[in-house]
Amino acid sequence: MEQKTVNLKKIFAVCFAVYLLLTVAFYFLAGEQLRLRDSRGNMGMPAADTGVAELAQGVVIEQIFSANIQRLESVSVQWGTYYRPNAGTVTMELRDVSSGALLMAQTFDAAAITEGQVLTMTAETPLEGVYGVPLVLRLYSDAQPGSAPAPLMASSVQNDGQRLTVNGAEMEGTLCFSAAGTDYIWTGLHYWKFVAVFGALLVAVFAVILRRCRMGKRSYVVNAIIALQKYRFLIRQLVSRDFKTKYKRSILGMFWSFLNPLLMMIVQYFVFSTIFKSDIPHYPVYLLIGIISFNFFSESCGMSLTSILGNAGLITKVYMPKYIYPLTRVISSVINLAISLIPLVIVALITGVHFEKSAVLALYFLACLVVFSLGLGLLLSASMVFFRDTQFLWGVLSTVWMYATPIFYPENILPDRFKFVHQVNPLYHFLKNARMCVLGGVSPEPVIYVQCLMIALVMLAVGALIFRKAQDKFVLYL
Amino acid sequence: MSKTMIEVSDVTMRFRMNNDKIMSLKEFVTTAIRGKLNYNVFTALDHVSFDVQKGETLGLIGHNGAGKSTMLKVISGILKPTEGSVKTCGNIVPMLELGSGFDFDLTGRENVFLNGAILGYSEEFLNAKYDEIVEFSELGHFIEMPIRNYSSGMLARLAFSVASVVNPEILIVDEILSVGDANFQEKSHRRMLELMGGGTTVLFVSHNLAQIREMCNRVVWLEHGQVKMYGPAEEVCNAYA
Repeated sequence: MEQKTVNLKKIFAVCFAVYLLLTVAFYFLAGEQLRLRDSRGNMGMPAADTGVAELAQGVVIEQIFSANIQRLESVSVQWGTYYRPNAGTVTMELRDVSSGALLMAQTFDAAAITEGQVLTMTAETPLEGVYGVPLVLRLYSDAQPGSAPAPLMASSVQNDGQRLTVNGAEMEGTLCFSAAGTDYIWTGLHYWKFVAVFGALLVAVFAVILRRCRMGKRSYVVNAIIALQKYRFLIRQLVSRDFKTKYKRSILGMFWSFLNPLLMMIVQYFVFSTIFKSDIPHYPVYLLIGIISFNFFSESCGMSLTSILGNAGLITKVYMPKYIYPLTRVISSVINLAISLIPLVIVALITGVHFEKSAVLALYFLACLVVFSLGLGLLLSASMVFFRDTQFLWGVLSTVWMYATPIFYPENILPDRFKFVHQVNPLYHFLKNARMCVLGGVSPEPVIYVQCLMIALVMLAVGALIFRKAQDKFVLYL
Repeated sequence: MSKTMIEVSDVTMRFRMNNDKIMSLKEFVTTAIRGKLNYNVFTALDHVSFDVQKGETLGLIGHNGAGKSTMLKVISGILKPTEGSVKTCGNIVPMLELGSGFDFDLTGRENVFLNGAILGYSEEFLNAKYDEIVEFSELGHFIEMPIRNYSSGMLARLAFSVASVVNPEILIVDEILSVGDANFQEKSHRRMLELMGGGTTVLFVSHNLAQIREMCNRVVWLEHGQVKMYGPAEEVCNAYA
């Protein structure tokens, strides 16, 4: 008993160190995105149906609006040209209505404007303190009538607090403009406080467990740790068995883990890049991330599915915790996943993807995927014992799931009314954010991390609970 | 002085036997709707109680289907009893159907480690005892070959060698002393006696009364899931025979 307590202390110390390390690493890897996100108050551009007025010299068009953006970064206006060459310059100004202070201004060459073009003026430093403040966007020009462009408007759109005037005369409708910026993230600003609170919580939990252990009580955590130590060797043996037998009589052996996703990517790349003519940047890498993730998911779940049934001979003869069987299958799939990350990196380097530091964060979403798969695997393997239909159902379900996940198609291909398919699909969230980290070069906002972790943990909890309830009956149904 | 290693108290094991085994959701739903989900309850063990002291060898005898194997499975933790409880103390090595953890695509060497891990041995232990296992099994250089090429005798020898290398606190044996040729049988017999002499508690199932008389201190006679007789080996064997 004494020895175990010492052991626990060490394990907890390591856990705490890992926690600190991860939080610090996350802080640096997430960068700006930890504190700032695209503002929820970003204003979209209404669809244009007509021009406001020819913006010749002496004409002043003003749009009054207010934006719920904490850091206003840019304002854009859509222009029409009457399909003729124009000359002169147009100027866009943004002022505070009450004080009249000039916030942003930019002058554009009217000759360079094309029909329907969106001109954007960007603030040198993001404007703060304009949240919800009435602003006026003023347009004027020095162009001669007949060669002046006109801003576009949506005549049927009329929003509260917005007013469009031409030389002071009010007009029905709204100027085709948009405003964009970023908001501060409250949790991100207080990141270190959160880290500290959770760290303290962790220490408190450890302390309670240690105390209980000294008093001779066994908690779940302690039991789990002891079981893990006891069965570590067995798990390693079973995983290595899975691996050895998988590639036993093949010539290339382990190399297949590497080659498989690569070959699949090449085939799908040629098929889909000709059919869809997709404009996804770095399509091979986009595809490969999808293939690797989904392969892992379907492999680990498919193997877990048969893990209890396939080991019936062992389960009815030797006692060991039954969760070990699905767990080892998932672990072997994780090793496979790790190997197939190598071709991903190689392809990314060849096709010229610029790795930002955020790429490392993609591993977080892969880890969520692993946890999610483990949960589903536990559920499936338990269900398979009682109903052999599960394997056929799973065959259909995994195909549906594959098409419901943007693996090879761009996610905007789905019509709006089917968007919910993506929203309710956990794989979509893992995949989208992993791609964002690798290809987009930016980290998703912090709340996404919590969401993904929650999805994964809920699945694991559901799977583990059902498995635990059912496991005593397995022997009777094998 | 003596310590109770296994305490079986009032264990009842009932199986619900479906008239025809329902294997699919559709069947389950349709039979449930028709109200035909009736089970025949089969009682494999009926309020069985006994205990085994440290260093003792307990024999289990009875006719086929008397519940001997079920009893062993309950003790080794594979089955959970419907009622009653089993308390065991120390690590159990079950020698039920040897070699059930073997993978036929792996070599003998890899299987030693795999099977050893399944039986709950530690890595250091297996590394230390590996040579001893190979020597005992008399497999020689065949140990590096995939075991699908082994003869059944070779398999049995390897399995027994792995299972008996340890000095477990509780050993559960289900008629395995008939593996290999006469020479190996003699050897495995000696090894068993050696284990018993070393203070291992043994649970022993056999139909061979001579063996039971020779090796066991006490015997439990099971008949239709109930304890028919429980006492010193000589007495119970005489009554059974």
